[in-house]
Amino acid sequence: MKYVLLAVTALVTLAAAVLLGPADVPLGDIVASPIVWQLRLPRAVLAFLVGGALGVSGVGLQALVRNPLADPFLLGLSGGAGLGAVAAIALNLPGPWALPLAAFVGAVGAMALVYRLGLIGGAELDPRVLLLAGVAVGAFAAAVTTALVSLAEATELRNAFLWLWGGFSGASWTTVLVFVVYAPLPLVVLAAAARPLDLLALGEEPARYLGADVRTLKRLVYLAASLLTAAAVAVAGVIGFVGLIVPHLCRLVWGRLHRTLFPTAFLAGGILLAAADTLARTVVAPRELPVGIVTALLGVPVFAFLLRRWTVS
Amino acid sequence: MRRWAHRTHLVGLLTLAVAACAEKERPASKGGIAVTDDAGRRVTLAAPAQRIVSLLPSFTELLFAIGAGDRLVGRTAWCDYPPEALAVPSVGDGMPPNVEAVAARRPDLVVLYHSGQNVPAAEQFERLGIRTVLLDLNLLEDLGPAARRLGVLTARRPAADSLARVMDSVASQPPAPSTRSLAFIVWDNPPIVIGAGSYLDRLATLAGARNVFHDISSPSAQVAIETIAARDPEFVAVLSDSTGAPRYAARPEWQVVRAVQRRRFLFLPGQLFGRPGPRVAEAVRELRRRLGTAP
Repeated sequence: MKYVLLAVTALVTLAAAVLLGPADVPLGDIVASPIVWQLRLPRAVLAFLVGGALGVSGVGLQALVRNPLADPFLLGLSGGAGLGAVAAIALNLPGPWALPLAAFVGAVGAMALVYRLGLIGGAELDPRVLLLAGVAVGAFAAAVTTALVSLAEATELRNAFLWLWGGFSGASWTTVLVFVVYAPLPLVVLAAAARPLDLLALGEEPARYLGADVRTLKRLVYLAASLLTAAAVAVAGVIGFVGLIVPHLCRLVWGRLHRTLFPTAFLAGGILLAAADTLARTVVAPRELPVGIVTALLGVPVFAFLLRRWTVS
Repeated sequence: MRRWAHRTHLVGLLTLAVAACAEKERPASKGGIAVTDDAGRRVTLAAPAQRIVSLLPSFTELLFAIGAGDRLVGRTAWCDYPPEALAVPSVGDGMPPNVEAVAARRPDLVVLYHSGQNVPAAEQFERLGIRTVLLDLNLLEDLGPAARRLGVLTARRPAADSLARVMDSVASQPPAPSTRSLAFIVWDNPPIVIGAGSYLDRLATLAGARNVFHDISSPSAQVAIETIAARDPEFVAVLSDSTGAPRYAARPEWQVVRAVQRRRFLFLPGQLFGRPGPRVAEAVRELRRRLGTAP
């Protein structure tokens, strides 16, 4: 029943995202309108996919570092992406895709660095080492970014931060296609890790005794979740909060088994972000709100409600 | 010890207050000059400013236009007009002001843009004994009053007043009937456009063009691409010194905006259009000419 409700909500959200918008498109013209076909539909699909990816990646990382505060961007990814984006503007890299590509390269660079630090001295991606390395790399990237912004002459640099705060203005069928081609591999890797991740929740030693290859598991989950997040940053900037709260939300409703957590987090993340983007586009029309603000405004009350029910029962 | 420090501080404040009162009582009598700036502060000088640091390109232009350019001893890195301004030493980008670099120029007056972060900067200068004036410069209407007060502070009143009259008359011009429509897109992701509360919106109106985002009252705002597409401006105005199409023009999602798809861009050099200044009439004429010759 709960699954049916989730699926129906997903469909309703996507339909609303296509039907509602700041521009007035009469119902009869919806099929023919380029505004709907070239802007709204790809934007709704992209928001759903990115939300889903962030939800799944949040589930994976929270399981990996066994810390409820983990968020896909915690491990230095947002700092790296920011550095990449600002560098692209400061160096005036040409081409319409320079900014997202540079952000992706920055995010992957930060990920590689944190990964390497997480293996230092046989630490084997110890959660504590990973978290510290993530914070350190993130802080370093942020410092370099700020130095670039204050030293470079380009007046556009301040706008790089606007981009970084996240949004779906860059959505088109091209970005959807890139994401659809890219995302399945890390998603499949994470889904395949569902059972061993359940074991990992018992602790590393017990998981090993129960037959999980903890070493490989942690590496694969870390790489897959981070690569998924890096792609999300490249197409939509840093949209916080979805990857933090959706896993908790799903755990409250569906329990702790990763076999159900991954698909439900994908759908719930997609619903949250697609709905948030629809509101961002419509509530203050003709103006638009940054989508990150709406995700928090929408997600926190739902989360507070569930938390209350959960602690009461 | 602590209490003593407190007390000296109090005494200092009192002396300052008394001095301030005394100053107020003898306004401008012994060749002194005084104006009230846009932060509501009374700015008094014993003699016309001789060593001025300007911390906004518009002020630099205004000072040159009223014939006080030779008294500039410092400017921002952005002050590139008139060409003579480039000979004045730069004190950095001015946001926020580098207090030490400005003070090193030993100015007797620092002209600052009236913004949140410049108010404490002005206080820092005053503590160093450097007089400051904070002036608004967001709208066309701010130009005349700014020019007049700079004229008083530099004893260039006749030149300043006549310049101010020209700018006031531009500001009070009735809007030309609009025959063309445009949107100012200053950033693409997220799309940021210029609204009614801006100098650029006013320039467009005076040049006979309708800003399609005139209904947004703030100076600028984030909008969705579909809103731009639905409003369908004839032109997209780009503040840029180059005339190459902006990067986003090649992105698929922007092709829904007709003016972008047809590459109907108006490239407006930032030096002339990017800031309110004494060349406002020239800017209006230039924009009108470009709108007229555009296909």
